[in-house]
Amino acid sequence: MKHNSHPTISLKPVYTPEDLNDFNYRQDLNDPGAFPYTRGRMSGVRSSWVQRGLSGEGDASRSNEQFKYLIQQGQTGIDVIGDTPTMICMDPDHPFSVPTVGTQGVSLCCLYDYLGLFKDIPLDSIAISSSIPNIFTLSGLYLAAKKNGFDTDKLRGSVIQSPFFFEECGYTAHLPFPLRLRLTLDSIEFCLKKMPKFHSFLENTYFFSETGLTTDEEIAFGFVEMRHTIRQLLKRGLEIDDIARHIVWLVNCRMDFFEEIAKIRATRRIFARMMRDEFGAKNPRSQSLTMTCHTSGIALTAQQPFNNIVRGAIQCAALVMAGIQAIEISAFDEPFRTPSPESHLVSLRTQQVIDLESGIGKVHDPLGGSYLVESLTNQMEQKILDGVRKVEALGDPADLSAKGWFKKFFEDSMERYHKDIESKQRIKVGTNVHQMPEHEDTMLRDVAEAKIQPYIWHVERIRRYKERRDRDTIKEALLTLKHTARDTSDNLMDSILEAFEKGATIGEITGALRTAYDCPYDPYNKMASPL
Amino acid sequence: MKKIRVLIGMMGLDQHEAGAISVSRLLRDAGMEVVYMGRFNSSDMIIRAALQEDVDVIGLSFHSWDFLYYVPEMIEMMKERDITIPIIVGGSVITKDDANKLRAMGTADAFCPSAADHEIIESINTIARQGSERDE
Repeated sequence: MKHNSHPTISLKPVYTPEDLNDFNYRQDLNDPGAFPYTRGRMSGVRSSWVQRGLSGEGDASRSNEQFKYLIQQGQTGIDVIGDTPTMICMDPDHPFSVPTVGTQGVSLCCLYDYLGLFKDIPLDSIAISSSIPNIFTLSGLYLAAKKNGFDTDKLRGSVIQSPFFFEECGYTAHLPFPLRLRLTLDSIEFCLKKMPKFHSFLENTYFFSETGLTTDEEIAFGFVEMRHTIRQLLKRGLEIDDIARHIVWLVNCRMDFFEEIAKIRATRRIFARMMRDEFGAKNPRSQSLTMTCHTSGIALTAQQPFNNIVRGAIQCAALVMAGIQAIEISAFDEPFRTPSPESHLVSLRTQQVIDLESGIGKVHDPLGGSYLVESLTNQMEQKILDGVRKVEALGDPADLSAKGWFKKFFEDSMERYHKDIESKQRIKVGTNVHQMPEHEDTMLRDVAEAKIQPYIWHVERIRRYKERRDRDTIKEALLTLKHTARDTSDNLMDSILEAFEKGATIGEITGALRTAYDCPYDPYNKMASPL
Repeated sequence: MKKIRVLIGMMGLDQHEAGAISVSRLLRDAGMEVVYMGRFNSSDMIIRAALQEDVDVIGLSFHSWDFLYYVPEMIEMMKERDITIPIIVGGSVITKDDANKLRAMGTADAFCPSAADHEIIESINTIARQGSERDE
């Protein structure tokens, strides 16, 4: 039987000094905390990483309780996922939203929801990372912090910026590419001024690599998106050293243990050289990349869900060896749902056992100097750089995105991944080998298969909330936003914040932005425009 | 011999398309004609397209629990309009228990994530053949 999980780079039985021709320690590795940061951005006594889990379900109040429980159990960061309507900027009372409100994340459609979400959460001392669309997660956090008396200069956390891929491969909000790019640039620019400690530019390669991309493709596409976005920010007159220190990269991690470690090390090295040599960044902080990870969902299986706990532990160990700054382990019930209380705890305890019992995290880059890992890192670096060159040689990446080139690539990747499992080219224990009859595969199934019912009462609450507002005030704020959006030289964040603070919802604000770009207010033609 | 025509679609706001695309390509490679509706459909849109395209089977893919809402709605809507095109349902979140309930509810078949490619193909072949025998 084959015993690898289909790596990008095939492994040999043994590695020797001959695999590292022309190896130069100072040039290729150097010490931890020194250029090119292959071994990580920090030096000295190694501190722990941010330990968190994907959270958010039901409404704001339910999710607030979830945050507090996880913090009480030792979680050191918060990561928020919205339900599907929230992720695609639609209100819960939209007819298409109703069956899914609160079932796969938290429903957040107005400032009132964000105030409930962050009630009694120490926003000045815990990092809030979010998968929710940039303008709303920033508006909600910024306004909630202000209203609760926190200094917004101290806010820490991150927000996904993915003008290329989020719409095509993650969550489709029916926003044209120029608007998506503008919202990315405007929100990053806003944060540089108003939330200076916040990682406003999170390059997320997790979600699109879940189509089954190889590890080098994942990172190459991430660099293509990041480089395009940086160039646009520089065109606005921003300095590279101001931009770069706000960048953080969230990668995927599947089951190819050494390859994932090599990927992370190669990414840091490429980033450092790109920042210094291509973009002219001078500050060491601008050259040393902060990296975080959400472990792979597609590496997990619906069959024998207990196996997923083992997978999470292996992935977490790899990430700690690679020197990652924050980790979220996809919970064992990931194939079925957002994490249950039980799976949240297992994922968190997995990190804590590795952190506090194993000693894996005591040494920076413990695999540095390994013939295998250095050879893989070199090969991975070359593959990633080749991938970036190939894609950029095809023309303006923005045009490629608009034409659906990436979408087609992802679709082909999905098919390849599926066929690899079906043909056993990719081994999945419990799925294509060592299967069990369904009647025996019962361990943890009751937890994994428990369903969350839609929060219908929350839909009613939002309907009542909308009726209570002063319609003229909302309309005026939305018209101001639309007018601002027509002028592409203005930053939209102030108008978005004003509308949000006055009570407009995410569906209304997004609708106003769409109409400014001559798109329908509601892409499904079910909601009347208040404009 | 007439090719089997299968409509594949997703409902409501369900975003994750991997399963629908994989199954569509699988059926295409098995010699069937696939009418791919993609994401963001309502029950009415699927039924109207199925009639216009004269498909033998309607295939619905779900990555979320929305199937609990949409499948009964579609079955009811088809009963009201006296339409008998068989519906099959598949998805990453569908459990064995869900599959049994969906079949009891009136779907022609339902597939869990453990379903092998050949099982899906054989099931659709059987359902479509039974449908054409009824029509004759």
